[in-house]
Amino acid sequence: MNNPLLSVQDLSIEYVGDKTDFRAVDHVSFDVAPGEVFGLAGESGCGKSTIAFAISRLHKPPALICGGNIMVAGRNVLDLDANELARFRWHEVAMVFQSAMNSLNPVLRIESQFHDLLKRHRGYSKAQSRERCAELLKLVDIPADRMRDYPFQFSGGMRQRIVIAICLALEPKLIVMDEPTTALDVVVQREILQRINELRRQLGFSVLFITHDLGLMVQFCDRIGIMLDGKLVEQGTADQIYRAPTHDYTKKLWASFPSFHAPAPRQENAQ
Amino acid sequence: MVFLLRRLCFYLAAFIAAATINFFLPRLLPGDPIQIMFSSAGSTLSPENLEALKLTFGFVDAPLWQQYLTYLASIFTGDLGLSIKYFPLSVNEVLGRALVWTVGLMGTATLISFTLGTMLGIVAAWRRGSKFDVIFSVSAIVATSVPAMVTSLVALYFFGFTLGWFPTGYAAAPALDPAFSFEYISSVIYHAILPIITLSIVLTGGFVVTMRNNMINLLGEDYITMGRAKGLSDRTVMFWYAARNALLPTVSGLAIAIGTVLGGSLVTEVVFNYPGLGNTLYHAILARDYPVIQGQLLIMTLAMLTANFIVDVSYVLLDPRLRRA
Amino acid sequence: MKNVILGLLRNKKALTGLLILAIIIVAAIAAPLLTGFDPARRVGLPHQPPNADHWLGTTRIGQDVFSRLIYGARTSLAVGFGAGFIITAVGTIMGIAAGYKGGKVDEAISFLTNMVLVVPNLPLLLVLASFIGQASPVVIAIILGGTSWAWGARVTRAETLSIKQKDFVKAAEMLGEPGWRIMAAEIFPNLVSIVGINFIGSVVFAVITEATLEFLGLGDPQAVSWGVMLYSAQNASALQVGAWWDILTPCFALVFLGTGLSLLNFAIDEVANPRLRTGNSLARWVGRVRAGEGSL
Repeated sequence: MNNPLLSVQDLSIEYVGDKTDFRAVDHVSFDVAPGEVFGLAGESGCGKSTIAFAISRLHKPPALICGGNIMVAGRNVLDLDANELARFRWHEVAMVFQSAMNSLNPVLRIESQFHDLLKRHRGYSKAQSRERCAELLKLVDIPADRMRDYPFQFSGGMRQRIVIAICLALEPKLIVMDEPTTALDVVVQREILQRINELRRQLGFSVLFITHDLGLMVQFCDRIGIMLDGKLVEQGTADQIYRAPTHDYTKKLWASFPSFHAPAPRQENAQ
Repeated sequence: MVFLLRRLCFYLAAFIAAATINFFLPRLLPGDPIQIMFSSAGSTLSPENLEALKLTFGFVDAPLWQQYLTYLASIFTGDLGLSIKYFPLSVNEVLGRALVWTVGLMGTATLISFTLGTMLGIVAAWRRGSKFDVIFSVSAIVATSVPAMVTSLVALYFFGFTLGWFPTGYAAAPALDPAFSFEYISSVIYHAILPIITLSIVLTGGFVVTMRNNMINLLGEDYITMGRAKGLSDRTVMFWYAARNALLPTVSGLAIAIGTVLGGSLVTEVVFNYPGLGNTLYHAILARDYPVIQGQLLIMTLAMLTANFIVDVSYVLLDPRLRRA
Repeated sequence: MKNVILGLLRNKKALTGLLILAIIIVAAIAAPLLTGFDPARRVGLPHQPPNADHWLGTTRIGQDVFSRLIYGARTSLAVGFGAGFIITAVGTIMGIAAGYKGGKVDEAISFLTNMVLVVPNLPLLLVLASFIGQASPVVIAIILGGTSWAWGARVTRAETLSIKQKDFVKAAEMLGEPGWRIMAAEIFPNLVSIVGINFIGSVVFAVITEATLEFLGLGDPQAVSWGVMLYSAQNASALQVGAWWDILTPCFALVFLGTGLSLLNFAIDEVANPRLRTGNSLARWVGRVRAGEGSL
């Protein structure tokens, strides 16, 4: 791929234990192009979330990156010093977390959670932040006058939309989504994914989408990587992964899906 | 608001419970309750005064429930009886004088130890496993298991008697008359320093342990990770994302800690011969001055309930979920 | 349960705490072998500093401080563990009953618990003890047990509420097991670490409070205990006359016992709550980062 936005190269991450270490990510490499949606699938514990955290260097002890590079827009994230890292975070890579109910600070008003970010990265005043906050909330269909409310006053789906609005605040090149809809019910899940897709077309960011739900992933992603026990066992376009999986594990994953879950038109093609 | 009203009703019930203990305790013990309570009164009180005192405590010729109502009535009209030891002073006067010193001592020490302990707990949790954490969390635990009298006695021995840096008793130089003069006030401060420091040391450990544990339990939450992912400074995430939330359980724990504060200040006052409630209670116990002893329990319960109410209010202010409810 | 014990044996704080506790228990049991002096009798000149005969000096009435220290440990341990047991038993039973039964039972117990929590404990104890007169250590242990269970009950109740929702409890209910059996056999075993923390915390509290009551003159002055040692030393103006051994000895003993128990308690908390743990893995992690084997 020419000039990928995100390039994970030969990445290995270990969890340091009391006596022995556990290798959660084992020599993983993949690229994400500008504007592309790349999906990372696999069962829980296969290391996919560890990669998501490592991209913004959010992993904490006992996790340790023990090999490889993470290049974002040509810069190696692992070489950034503390100042550069603070400027890099959210400005280039924003992130949506798994628990929609719990990613917003419960004791701060919504507007403050925009303001701390905008003040830090852009030096905005309160008034400027409020203006920007209103704009962003509109993008995700939340009335601007609710910016003075607290997170507990919103439903799970609304909270996740607010998180997405915060993600867009600095117009990042990449948004990492770690199981962004797992905690939500199916209808809300669809709504949110459609919204993300529209925004992506409009604004042109890339998405690294992480889930264990392969069916959902095939509908949403351009390309997909399949992970097993820390290794990336297969990657290809969504079509390839769906129609002609090569690895045994991918086939098993498909076999484990009840057929009605898969997208209907493609299923006909497959038969 | 409903929340605070419900708390107020509960406090009223708790206060009546303390009064009930006072009422039944002498009556439940073997022997004549009047004999138990007023045996030492003969030498100081006149017969009329003794009669009035008996009435205050519900010793009337009537069934038990009427005695009980009589006692509750005198309490709710603010009549706690006469002191036997300090006659002719009333219990109210004796305790009123002492209360000022105790509130000053307790208030200052609580403020110091809560601020200091919470800050240390925040930083220890944030830098978990570091030297700072190990040193402060282990010494905090040890501090929580040291009785207040031990800290007071050791401090008094070294800084009072051996080094002679601080006075070894009283709230001000005995030669001075209470006045709003620089001399008197500075003497009061000078006398308060050692008791306040001692009490603060006793209390700080508990706040460190509570805050550290609450913080650590929160550090895995997604909103903390999101704060970090947003590229906010460590300070912002530490205080506005982690500590601000960890403060909620800490503040609700503060309500229980106030009991410890009160106990600690009782003992500290006795060791430093500081004229607060604790010392008054101590001397009342030595003199078997039961009206003062019983009045103490009520006053201290009242103090504890007031402190609890302050905690409730600050909890409501800190937690938006309760504020709107 | 097994994991908790195994975890404790690997924990430095737990081992230090156990060692301290073992030293005190052995000294208390072996007291007659360690000293020939009767702790209650006059056996030397008044207020002698530590010397070859009297290792920790003598009191103002000529009792041997060392023998009072190790015999006194018996009282402190007995009251501490006795009262600690009562406090924990009452608190655990109340907590489990309130949490599991719910409804009226819960309301009644929670109301009582909250009530006890807001009536200040030490003043209440002082009033009780002052009416009873010179309270023997046994009486003090019983009073402590009856008035200090509330904190444990509250914590146990909260934990019971979350265990009640677990599948194995639901399963036992479906099988028609009686309520008391579910509480004793299904819920209680899952509360082991909380009950353990509650117990040790209560022992510390009981030891401190017994000593405090005695120090304030509410105990039996003839008893041999650390609190009475402090009381007599304070009455003998030990600080003013510079007899530091008389007053610092029981102080040190209380700190020593309290430290041991608290370390043990902290360790149980760490073992039971993995989030609080700062074990070996963190040290190895730091080591590998320093060695340049990886990046943060």
